[in-house]
Amino acid sequence: MQNEILFAILELISIISSVVMISAHRPIDSALSFIVTLISIAALFALVNATFLFVVQIIIYAGAILSLILFIIMFLNIKDENLPDEKYKNRWLLGTSIIITPFSLILIDLILRSDIAVHALRDEKFGTIKDVGATLFSQWVLPFELVSILLLVALIGAVTLSKKEA
Amino acid sequence: MLKGYMILSIILFSIGIVGLISRRNIIVMYMSIELLLNAVNLSLIAISADLADSSAQVMSLIIIAIAASEAALFMSLFVVLFRNRASLDVNLFTILGGKE
Repeated sequence: MQNEILFAILELISIISSVVMISAHRPIDSALSFIVTLISIAALFALVNATFLFVVQIIIYAGAILSLILFIIMFLNIKDENLPDEKYKNRWLLGTSIIITPFSLILIDLILRSDIAVHALRDEKFGTIKDVGATLFSQWVLPFELVSILLLVALIGAVTLSKKEA
Repeated sequence: MLKGYMILSIILFSIGIVGLISRRNIIVMYMSIELLLNAVNLSLIAISADLADSSAQVMSLIIIAIAASEAALFMSLFVVLFRNRASLDVNLFTILGGKE
């Protein structure tokens, strides 16, 4: 019961802040409300016992990626004339929502008909760093190594892209 | 409650797609992409709690790592594009089409 109330509150917060994120005019407002979305999603992770993912979400997403975005927004020194003048922004948002709504309604209907169980969590160890780490290093070793190569490529690519002259 | 998780994930995914299609500010478009990844992560975590299997959690961990590398590349792209065009409007980013 308590979990349901918490879930409803977090759901509301994440939906409202993501709507603010896509409709705000200045990018700094979008970034700040996106932080709220990310933290509420992290809390939703914690609500189903995914404690390790909760920590990772807060450290990497809210901590690293979003502070990187905020730094870039501050360094670029964006003024109002640098922003695109989206005269018909609200009309665009309304039109795309009307187009997208039927598809999401079909998906929601599918989910409501499915038999996803609603059971309370039984295992205390589930979702801890030990459990996730054991799975990561037994069944997922190859994707893990590939991700390390990907991170190296992204590192080199970021440095070469942002050099002054190639 | 897990059905609620899936429905919330669908709603967040739709909001992300709406933001990605209808905005022209590149930073907002980037954050919409991140919102799509987060919605997928949310549904993966719900499925992992449903099946009591931590493979889905490892998958979302890898998705977070991919999002981090994507963030690094996007940030350097922002810097390069803003230096060349002094704007965040994606309609102006046509440098691959040659000199105008």
